[in-house]
Amino acid sequence: MTVVIGFEGSANKIGIGIIRDGEVLSNPRRTYITPPGQGFMPSDTARHHRAVILTVLKEALEQAGLKPADIDCVAYTKGPGMGAPLVTVALVARTVAQLWGKPLLGVNHCIGHIEMGRLITKANNPTVLYVSGGNTQVIAYSERRYRIFGETIDIAVGNCLDRFARVIKISNDPSPGYNIEQMAKKGSQYVELPYTVKGMDVSFSGILSYIEEAANKMLSSGQCTAEDLCFSLQETVFSMLVEITERAMAHCGSQEVLIVGGVGCNLRLQEMMGVMCQERGAKLFATDERFCIDNGAMIAQAGWEMFRSGQVTELEDSWITQRYRTDEVEVTWRD
Amino acid sequence: METDGETNQESGKLESLDVPFPSAREASIALRSLSPDREPRKGGITKHLTVAGSTLSRWSADEARILRVSVNSFLDHLKLVLETMEMFGPPVDL
Repeated sequence: MTVVIGFEGSANKIGIGIIRDGEVLSNPRRTYITPPGQGFMPSDTARHHRAVILTVLKEALEQAGLKPADIDCVAYTKGPGMGAPLVTVALVARTVAQLWGKPLLGVNHCIGHIEMGRLITKANNPTVLYVSGGNTQVIAYSERRYRIFGETIDIAVGNCLDRFARVIKISNDPSPGYNIEQMAKKGSQYVELPYTVKGMDVSFSGILSYIEEAANKMLSSGQCTAEDLCFSLQETVFSMLVEITERAMAHCGSQEVLIVGGVGCNLRLQEMMGVMCQERGAKLFATDERFCIDNGAMIAQAGWEMFRSGQVTELEDSWITQRYRTDEVEVTWRD
Repeated sequence: METDGETNQESGKLESLDVPFPSAREASIALRSLSPDREPRKGGITKHLTVAGSTLSRWSADEARILRVSVNSFLDHLKLVLETMEMFGPPVDL
């Protein structure tokens, strides 16, 4: 029996989760939400995390009904992500690991998402679309690495959506992406936007500039509504994601797709991906907001896999890093 | 927590910041939690953490404004480590 506690706080969510042999015992989380029109800055986010992290840690232990002695390993997000929030979380993880006398494990955030997706959906060997505010990658497993087949060459799709939400000043509660999704359902006019797939990769910064300008012009002249723009943006960027996912599937001969990351909560994205999968006779896997959105249990799960295959992080090597490629990690727990 | 520091206003040096701990073990835990991460700013700042008995000391030498940012961050981080130790300590016997 192996029990792992996982600490996650690379963006504006701070979550701590406990997993015992594939069972999620607890997974409390808090989100730092900024006023409409504002994004979250590193030092403010870190301050938010510092204020709540010990409370969330207590909740994680209490909800799991465990004492520190019951934990076998302390996992935390080594990267990628925002520097100050990552440090905040790593400090607590390192301290409790020493206080409790437990080994420490630095986990790659992207791999946390993948391993949680695999655990929850039981997908066998899927092509993974990882889409969030900070990352956009198409990943497939091959020979002990999660290989990046395609990715954004500039900003993440979630970043594009979040920054557009700021332009039209919609609420960031519970998340800007969720509110864009709700507004898109009420859109009726399709506004043509640039479509930028570059081979296996995608680009979103041009679409963002275009729609920011379009919003200013078209909304004030009444040519379209904010709902129409939300609808058009989703249709465009999600089509691009479906295209590069399909391209990777064709390369790998894969019959499974797994969507992970916060943007994976979006039901329209799931719907569009589902249509493509059906056309190819493939199966689509996705998780709900408990596990799509950044959470501690996903770090615990990746940590569980790593720990059981013999990995450990020494304290001197436990520094956090803002840049950490998914394919840098040796996937020792798979063949 | 008591702090004891000497500052040189002209060139922005902080010679030492001494933080007393209840035991050598706890000072060592704090040191090992606070030392792995590199300073975010590439040049112009040096930070040095050591433990002597049950005291954690820190030297940094540089421009006043960079020093201010670095020391403020350090104090926030130190506070978090101390709060963690208070809530989840004392350390288990090894």
